Amino acid sequence: MIYAAMILMTCILYFVAKKLYKKYPIFILHPLLLCPILIIAVILPFHVSANQYMSGVAFLTHLLGPATVAFAIPIYKHLPVIKKNMSIILISVTTGTLVAIMSSFALSMAFQLNSNFLISVLPRSITTPIAIEVSKDIGGLPTLTTIFVIFTGIIGGIIGPHVIKFLSIKSPLAKGLALGMSAHGVGTNKAREYGEQEATFSTLAMIFAAFITMIWAKSLIPALIHLTSI
Amino acid sequence: MKILMIALQILFIHVFLYLGAGVKALLGVPIPASMIGLFLLFIALCLKIVKLEWVEKGAGWLIAELLLFFVPSAVGIINYDDIFSLQGLETILLIGVSTFIVMGTTAFVADKIFKRKDRETA
Repeated sequence: MIYAAMILMTCILYFVAKKLYKKYPIFILHPLLLCPILIIAVILPFHVSANQYMSGVAFLTHLLGPATVAFAIPIYKHLPVIKKNMSIILISVTTGTLVAIMSSFALSMAFQLNSNFLISVLPRSITTPIAIEVSKDIGGLPTLTTIFVIFTGIIGGIIGPHVIKFLSIKSPLAKGLALGMSAHGVGTNKAREYGEQEATFSTLAMIFAAFITMIWAKSLIPALIHLTSI
Repeated sequence: MKILMIALQILFIHVFLYLGAGVKALLGVPIPASMIGLFLLFIALCLKIVKLEWVEKGAGWLIAELLLFFVPSAVGIINYDDIFSLQGLETILLIGVSTFIVMGTTAFVADKIFKRKDRETA
């Protein structure tokens, strides 16, 4: 009963935040910022811990699984466009994953982050379920990685339109690939506002980024982590 | 009626999620079950085993409300006191700068190749 109430509350706050952000796109109203803040404000007075809350609404987190499966549909619908642009997708997303890992690594070194933060931040640019797998694989903390993935999404969703405007990117292909590569599902969500083509390329970038990063997790990332221990 | 249809389709999409989990257990591959499920559903659509109408509405809803499914994990941030330290702040700054570079580079590379290809075919 209490679980159902928590799920209902989460959904209501989410839809309120979503409506508000659509009307007033200021970053603090972003559903992934406003909604968790409101929820924390509601559960704390009731002495409900974050862990109790998260196990109560586990059903919502579970839906990330079928949601990932659901991305088969836009890929299937846009197969001809994908086939035509396969080389662009592969080249730009491979570049994107390399830049994501290398820049996160270089900045972590510059800030002298502790090793938990440094390792957990490396897979931050890919979709949560796979970032968690990669994080485990390379010796990071999956929960910390999840938080970094969410921050990546929020920031990417907010700066995305500005970067696209600033670089005067016109093609739906480049817009979609950039959003999906840099901000995974949240970027794809943003790409839907531009159009269906943008959303599809964003989805593809997200999926390819995840797979390519899994390859880096077995090659490039262990080499980088080894560097820090010398 | 529409909600019922969406719910039924989401249930049906679960079949592929669990097939994915089965394949993962059987082959022991380090790929998440949901990713394998995505491929299985994609193949089923291509082979016309599954019709687009059977899954389109449910999938559309799941993708449209994707942010909702991230909310519980975002609440988990209060478990990490570390985030509210200088290291945490630096990490968030790092994520901002890095995300900006990744987005810019990806857009730039994709746009350049796209324009060149466009010129070749023109």
